[in-house]
Amino acid sequence: MATSTTVCPECDGRIRADGDEAVCSECGLVVAEDRIDRGPEWRSFADDDRDPRRTGAPLTRSRHDRGLSTEIGHTRVKGRKRRQWARMRRQHTRARMSSKRDRNKVYGFTEIRRLVSAAGLPDSLRDQACSLFESAQEADLLCGRSLEGFAAAAVYVACRVAGVSRTRSELVADAKADANELRAAFDAMNRELGLPVGPIDPAEYLPRFATELGLDATVERAAREYLDVARDEGLTNGRNPCGVAAACLYAAARDDGADCTQAAAADVADVTPVTLRSSYVELRDR
Amino acid sequence: MNREARRAVSREYFSQERLAEHHFRSFNNFLDRGMQRVVDEKETIETDIGDKEGQEPVYVELGDVRMTTPRVREADGSEELLYPQEARLRNITYAAPVFMEMKIIRGGEEEPETVVDQTETKVGRMPIMVGSNKCNISGFSDEELVEIGEDPVDPGGYFIVNGSERVLMTSEDLAPNKILAEYDSKYGDEIQVAKTFSQRRGYRALVLCERNREGLLEVSFPSVSGSVDFVTLVRALGLESDEEIVHRVSDDPEIVKFMLENLEEASVQTEEEAIETLGERVASGQGKNYQLKRANYVIDRYLLPHLHEEGVEEEDVRINKAYYLCRMAEACFELALDRRESDDKDHYANKRLKVSGDLMTDLFRTALNKLARDVKYQLERANMRNRQLTVNTVVRSDVLTERLEHPIATGNWVGGRSGVSQLVDRTDYMGVLSHLRRLRSPLSRSQPHFEARDLHATQWGRICPSETPEGPNCGLVKNFAQAMELSQNVEDEQGLKRELASMGVEGIPGIEGVDRASADD
Repeated sequence: MATSTTVCPECDGRIRADGDEAVCSECGLVVAEDRIDRGPEWRSFADDDRDPRRTGAPLTRSRHDRGLSTEIGHTRVKGRKRRQWARMRRQHTRARMSSKRDRNKVYGFTEIRRLVSAAGLPDSLRDQACSLFESAQEADLLCGRSLEGFAAAAVYVACRVAGVSRTRSELVADAKADANELRAAFDAMNRELGLPVGPIDPAEYLPRFATELGLDATVERAAREYLDVARDEGLTNGRNPCGVAAACLYAAARDDGADCTQAAAADVADVTPVTLRSSYVELRDR
Repeated sequence: MNREARRAVSREYFSQERLAEHHFRSFNNFLDRGMQRVVDEKETIETDIGDKEGQEPVYVELGDVRMTTPRVREADGSEELLYPQEARLRNITYAAPVFMEMKIIRGGEEEPETVVDQTETKVGRMPIMVGSNKCNISGFSDEELVEIGEDPVDPGGYFIVNGSERVLMTSEDLAPNKILAEYDSKYGDEIQVAKTFSQRRGYRALVLCERNREGLLEVSFPSVSGSVDFVTLVRALGLESDEEIVHRVSDDPEIVKFMLENLEEASVQTEEEAIETLGERVASGQGKNYQLKRANYVIDRYLLPHLHEEGVEEEDVRINKAYYLCRMAEACFELALDRRESDDKDHYANKRLKVSGDLMTDLFRTALNKLARDVKYQLERANMRNRQLTVNTVVRSDVLTERLEHPIATGNWVGGRSGVSQLVDRTDYMGVLSHLRRLRSPLSRSQPHFEARDLHATQWGRICPSETPEGPNCGLVKNFAQAMELSQNVEDEQGLKRELASMGVEGIPGIEGVDRASADD
């Protein structure tokens, strides 16, 4: 179900998909409902009662032709006909990507798919990243910049918009692009496309950092409370969100008696221990 | 045995651990050894990099596979253990990440080979059978199971893909690598045929040896259209002299007479001639050298692949193939002379069951091939764009995941079989138990197949004589008997052969201290 927001408009609670409804898990408000069953067909319409499918796969933004492609099948044929089919298949695959632009798009989309699967992100996000890449291409931003950079930037932006931010260094670790290419592509997109990205909420980093540090859910919850305090006190302003998130986790882990050093927390967040410590000291003093 | 004791035994057989035990054993075996074996068969991924001048070739070496237990990765990046009930409720897949050691190696032509990059990387996710060794709930006590919301009496033995429980149907196939002799009719004449489904590493080739109405033997196998004279083929394999061929087939005077007829008609006398003739068949209209190359390739690749073995010389394999063909010839002649009856395909000794682990092996093999093709493409692409080649950036983990999950979710298996995975029948508890112990014959349900549907005497104690559906599937879908024990493949084939050799079996290839001349007699 496509819900544009991830938080409840009434109480800012998390939205959870429940059957064909999107429900706020805090107040129970039904944010969206969708009575169409998108599951498989219940009965068969063809003469043979084996295959109930009437259509192919749905259109998707994550293919250069929206998934509406034709393929020449591999039915068993012999001799001259087989050779003819092989030739046709070759010409067909060549014709499928008609322009350089299409070819670049396919390459970019493959890289996006790879990044999305490496980071374990949902499919909806992949589609969003792909359409971002497409709009960047349509706005002629790609000239002189690297395709890999744009693929990585599209995923980076899609994550930020969906409220599941990844740090740049996390993305670069998996991506074919390097940090400079990612920055160039992101800057260009941000400038020309007017991306709806605001400052990153450090809370988005908490669950991931907590998993990487091997901290359990209670520590993560305590860290979230620290973060709320920090936000109210204005500590998050002008600070690297990664550093703040790491500092909150470190503080919570310390209270809990969990094994977590400043160096380890800083390493996971890809900040220096000094950055972490400055946030932590401020947090402790309040 | 008195009634009480019988009851105790019966109850043991129906205990919870045993209900889906065949699934667990097979799948655990696949996880422990099967996966690594498939990867070791693949060994390397070759690329086309280095075909051009001044470029060093690049290839990838595949190492150890490792997997953890099922876990779920949330969109926010946190990762935690996944239990079956959560997978069912959230409509997600109960799957564990698979990691593989990979090594990108460049060089070998002019420069020495250097390792460009080497890491263990996540290659995809493998759906895990509920209750198997890699399942998060294996070894839990009833209280612990209740604590996390699992049903303590659930038998397990199925997969959870996108929230739906799928069981892999055990399928009943004809035994591979066995000679089956039977009658057939061709142009109205009755002829005798010896068949072998030769199978090795997922490649299956049907080899037919038939005695036509003139009494001449012809062999047909994949990649050769039509059939080849038996004598030509055996000579191409290195069994040259008339005397040896006859001796290898049989010493029975009547069979010898048949064989001499065959030898009289023979068009070739030596190994070279035979290979040339074969070359003309497999690559007609091509150059002489190519014909020879192709003929040798076909012999080593498509003819009786199951006789190949690690560490056995190609020449020994060829002569063994010749001996094997002689056995098939003998079976044909014996059938023609009424010395034996045709083999019974419905006899349970001629059947093998493909359980979940075997099916997953097939799936994993094709998935790995697909992954390898993708890695090759990504490597070539990265090289063309002058990127640094790293393991992490050339592996797309969704390729393998997709190839593993999709067939289980839809039932459309590799090799065109459909309905392999089915939604677990949750009508009631007995429904589940029956479904997990069900097996299916691959024969079409729209044809009569009276013999296949009949209850065969050899099913005694193995297959339930009464539980089968009514209607078109009658007798094709069967259920295990209560006390059925499913035996597995011999794990250590070398050990078995050594044991056989010590008991006096001669001529096993690859075993020291045996007399080569009397092989396969």
